[in-house]
Amino acid sequence: MNRRRIQILPNIAMILICMVMLFPVFATTVISFKQQSDVARKPPLLFPCDTPSSDFVPSACRFFVEGYERIFAFKENPETWFGYEATGAIVSKYMPNSLIYAVFSSLFITLFAGLAGFSFSRFAFKGRRILQVGILALTGIPLLTNLLALYQTTVMLRKALVPSIERFAAWQQFSDITTKMLIDSLDRVILIAIYTGLLMPFSIWIVKSFFDAIPRDLEEAAVIDGCSPFGALMRIVAPLAAPGLLAAFLLSFVNIWNEFLTNYLLVGSSKQNLRSVMVAVYDLTGNNLINYQVLAAACVLVMMPVIILFLATRKVFFSAMVEGAVKG
Amino acid sequence: MKTSKILPFVLLAPALIMIVFAQLYPALYTFYLSAQEMDAGVQKFVGMENFRRVFDSSAFVESAWNTVIFIAGYILLTMLLGMGLALLLNRKLKFSGFYLAMLFIPWVLSDVIVGLVWKLFVDPDTGLFSPILELPFFGLEGAALLTKVPTDRLFDSIPFPPAPALIYLIIASVWKALPFVTLLMLAALQTVPKEVLESAQMDGANSRQSFLGITFPMILPSLIVALFNLVLGGMNGVGMVFSLTGGGPGTSTEVLSYLLYSIGFAQFDFGKAAALSVFIAMINLALILLALRVSRQGAEQYA
Repeated sequence: MNRRRIQILPNIAMILICMVMLFPVFATTVISFKQQSDVARKPPLLFPCDTPSSDFVPSACRFFVEGYERIFAFKENPETWFGYEATGAIVSKYMPNSLIYAVFSSLFITLFAGLAGFSFSRFAFKGRRILQVGILALTGIPLLTNLLALYQTTVMLRKALVPSIERFAAWQQFSDITTKMLIDSLDRVILIAIYTGLLMPFSIWIVKSFFDAIPRDLEEAAVIDGCSPFGALMRIVAPLAAPGLLAAFLLSFVNIWNEFLTNYLLVGSSKQNLRSVMVAVYDLTGNNLINYQVLAAACVLVMMPVIILFLATRKVFFSAMVEGAVKG
Repeated sequence: MKTSKILPFVLLAPALIMIVFAQLYPALYTFYLSAQEMDAGVQKFVGMENFRRVFDSSAFVESAWNTVIFIAGYILLTMLLGMGLALLLNRKLKFSGFYLAMLFIPWVLSDVIVGLVWKLFVDPDTGLFSPILELPFFGLEGAALLTKVPTDRLFDSIPFPPAPALIYLIIASVWKALPFVTLLMLAALQTVPKEVLESAQMDGANSRQSFLGITFPMILPSLIVALFNLVLGGMNGVGMVFSLTGGGPGTSTEVLSYLLYSIGFAQFDFGKAAALSVFIAMINLALILLALRVSRQGAEQYA
C-alpha cells in the first residue's frame, strides 16, 4: 500500500504541474474560439459557458471560429482545389515568408554545420582549439550588437546591388513587377544568409558532439579498405550522424520560425511584403481595431506548427539539447 | 586517418564564411563604431567618449539594477523549480516521457508570442488573471499590473522592491526557460549510477545525505552549464520585454538589452549603442570563459 501511494502522489503532482505549464497555451486556444461578446465579458471567464444564473453550464458553451475567419479571410475562388482561397495576409503572405526563411536557412545550416562539425571532430589541425573557443565566444555577443552592424551592412549591400539589378532588368526589358521580384529576392537572400550565420555556431556545436559519439574505427576501416576520407564521410559517418543533422535542422527551423528581432529591425516598413509571421502577429497589437479572439487565433496559428513539429520529433530535440549544452 | 593539411579547412570554409559575415564582422564593426561619433553625417574618432556617455546616464544605472534584479529572480526560481521537477521526473514514473514532452512545449514557443499571450492575460478589462489581481492581497487597484510604478524604494538609487511588471516578466521568463533547465538536470540525474546510491543507502545514508554527498557533486557540472545558459539568455533576451512590457511602466522593466535596443533603434545613436553592446558582450565573454574553466575543473574533480 505504501508503495502505491508513493507512485500516486508524484503522478498527481506531475499532472498538476503539466496543467499549470500548459495553461497559457490552453487558455489562448480557448480565447481564440470565443465570440466578441464573450471576450469582452466582465468579469472575464475562461470558458464561454455561463448562463445568467450560473457560471458554468456545459450545454450553454458557445464556440465560434470568427477569430480564425478574420485571420484566414476566405474568399471564393473556383480555381483553387477546394473552391476557396485564404486572402488574410498572415496566412497567404507572412507564413509562407517565414517558411521560406526557415527552410532555406536550416538547409544551409545543416549542410555547412555538418561539414564543419565533421572537420572539428575528426581532424587534428593547427588552430582547431582556438577556432572552437572563438566560435563558442561568438555566441556570447548579443544579437542586438550584430544587428547594429548588420543593419548598416544590409543598407550598403542594397545600395551596391540594387542599381545593377535595375540596370540588368532595364537591359532585359523586364516588367516592373519582375524587377521588384528580383529586388525582393535579393533581400530574401540577404536575410537567409544572416539567419544562416547567426545560428551557425550553435549548430556546429550540436553536430560536432554527435560526430564525437561515433567511433572512429568505422571510418578508419573504410579508409583502409580503399575509401577516400570524403567517401567515408558520406557512406559511413553521415548515416550514423543523421540524428545529429536532423537535430541541427529542426532546432534551426524552430529558432528561425520563432525569430522576431532580426526581421523586425532589418526589414523596413517600406518592404512589408518581406515580413516574417512573428513580426506580422506582433504588428496586430498596434492595431486598435483588432479583437482578442483574432489576436489569440493568430497566436495559436503560429504556435501550432512548432508544437506539432516538436511533439513529432521530441526524442531528437531532447538528445540535441542535452548533447549540445552539456558537452559544449 | 591520414591528416590532410587543407581538407579540414575546406570543410570548415562555408560555415566560417557565414559566421564571419553574420557575426564576426558585425561584432568587430560594432567595436569600431563604439569609438566613433556621427557628426553632421561625418564619422569621427572620439575615443572613450561614447562609453562615458553610457556610464554617466542615469538610464544605464537604472537598467543595470533592473538587469541584476531580473537575472537574480529568474535564475533562482528557474534553478529551484527545475531541480524539483527533475527530481520528480527521475522517480521513473510510468508517464515520465509524456510529462516531459508536455512540460517542454513552452520552450519551443517564440518569446514574442509568449509575451503577447501573457500580456493578454493581465489586461485590466478582459484579462483572465485580472479578477485575481484585483484581490486586496496584491494591492493592485484596477488590476494595474503593467502600469503600476512602486512609489517608495528601500534604497534611493536601487529600484527595489521591483515593479509588479518586472515580477510578472520574471514569472513569464521562468515559465519559458524551466523546461530546458529541467531537461538538463534530468539528463544529469540519470547519469548518477544507481549502485552508488544503493550502497550509500546500505551504509546508512538517508536520502538527504546521499543527495548532498553523491548526487549533487555529480550533477554540479550540468548545474553550472544550465546556470550560465540562463545568465546569457537573461542578459541577451529582449523579445519578451519587447512584447510584454515595452520597458515600462516608466523604466521599471528596462533591462540592459532593452536599453541597447532603444538607444540603437529608437534614438538611432549608434555610437552610444555600440559602446553599451561592447560592455554587455564583455560581461558575457567573461561569463563564458568562467563557465569553460569551472566546468573543466568540475569535470576533472569528479571524473
